[in-house]
Amino acid sequence: MHISDGVLPTPVTLAGFAASFAIAAWSVRKTDPDQLPKVAVVTSAFFVASLIHVPMGPTSVHLLLPGLVGILLGNAAFISITLGIVLQSFLFQFGGITAIGANAFMMGAPALTAGWVFRLLKGATLGRHMVAAAFAGGGCVVLAVSILAALLYAGGEDFLGVAKIAILAHLPVIGIESAVAAFTVSFLYKVKPDLLGLDAIPPSP
Amino acid sequence: MNSNGPVELPLYALFLLLGGLGGLWLLSALTVGRQARRSAAAGDESERDWSVPTLDSEGRGTSPFHRWDLRIKIVSLFLFILCLSGLSQLQTASLALIVGFGSIAVARLPLRRSLRRISAMAAFLGMFLVVMPLTAPVKAGDTVIVFEHLHWLTFNVRGFHLAVVISVKACAIALLVEPLIATAPFSSSVQAMARLGLPETICQMLLLAHRYIYVFQHEAQRMNRGMRVRGFRKRFDLETLRILGNFLGMLLVRSFERTQRVHDAMLSRGYDGRLMWTTAFRATGMDWVKGVSLVAGGIGLLVLDRFWF
Repeated sequence: MHISDGVLPTPVTLAGFAASFAIAAWSVRKTDPDQLPKVAVVTSAFFVASLIHVPMGPTSVHLLLPGLVGILLGNAAFISITLGIVLQSFLFQFGGITAIGANAFMMGAPALTAGWVFRLLKGATLGRHMVAAAFAGGGCVVLAVSILAALLYAGGEDFLGVAKIAILAHLPVIGIESAVAAFTVSFLYKVKPDLLGLDAIPPSP
Repeated sequence: MNSNGPVELPLYALFLLLGGLGGLWLLSALTVGRQARRSAAAGDESERDWSVPTLDSEGRGTSPFHRWDLRIKIVSLFLFILCLSGLSQLQTASLALIVGFGSIAVARLPLRRSLRRISAMAAFLGMFLVVMPLTAPVKAGDTVIVFEHLHWLTFNVRGFHLAVVISVKACAIALLVEPLIATAPFSSSVQAMARLGLPETICQMLLLAHRYIYVFQHEAQRMNRGMRVRGFRKRFDLETLRILGNFLGMLLVRSFERTQRVHDAMLSRGYDGRLMWTTAFRATGMDWVKGVSLVAGGIGLLVLDRFWF
């Protein structure tokens, strides 16, 4: 879910921009400058992937995939997510212009965490990789939703009900995201394992 | 507002309300359904997953927004939007909504694109409109509506008012986004942001990411068509998720490989970390007048919001 314009109090809006700006600057500094154009191109692939809708009972939800971004891009994940949020806001109005900072933090910080968790847990076998990816993919959504609820609640106790409903609405998404992350990692493990072992995109041969 | 206990309405008022909401929902479902059928006639119905609008199809024009110096336009519109997001009264938010519609008219942009932006927020704002009246804690002075026989269902008017203000603000800002972004070629807007101090690397990444969305969208559509030909239909089960995981993996493998080829091609054409910028900027007195008056208007709205109403 993306926070739209007009919801967050002004101090939270500004704090969101400040936090995202600082982490994005760190993320860029941690990435090899030669790799940055590639990170941008990979961002487009994730953007397109996030347009896929998964049926869920009578309705459908679209994929979020911050966990996979973290798993594949490592420290560069935050700048990639930020670009994706900016483009989503510009193209679709999914997430407001003034909420770009808050939305980027909400998705980007969990993506970084998911990347670290995946690297810690992945081990050497296919099974371990899938478990680590499921954990990272699902946990990433849990973190993102917690941040979302906290941001909404920052508006005052009137927003508590909305924050609770937002958490409830995301419970099934946690399952979907963790399954998709596990299956995608299992595919990559068999087809192109070098994508899973490195902090950034592998250099040219 | 009075605090003389809850206002009780007869039960049929609730049915009237629900009936009205149901009618609205049916109406919007019918309109959306017609649009979906129309796009289905144009192509494969399943491909609406990947419909991405063009950002700057109205990039050329002669309206005051098109002729505005991009740097001043971006800064002043952004500051104006920031002011709007701080409003807290319905009256000032409605004024902002009028300004939004006015800007669309002045920029001579098709209203359809802005309505599409508003409909993208419908689910999020709908959640506020439904949940907030029912959950906002009742404070002294609040008007609470209950229905006879259903005393557990309390409708807090203050919560509803808050949700309406949020929605009106969000719509007003959404209306201003098209004049902000769509009235210049995207590459020029990004170049203006570079001039305004956004690091050049980030600007390049923004341009590249935007460009390759359309490339990978094409790729995803082709793969999707292939899967449908082989009989894949999305369902609500684990098997669908497994196949989507494989699909995603394949899309990522192909895009990582393509990324490498793109990078090599850029290097062989002499890319050295800088892009060639082509737009020249020249700010005139008129550009400044427009910018300063817009920001002054935004601050004026904020002052009105805090001290007048």
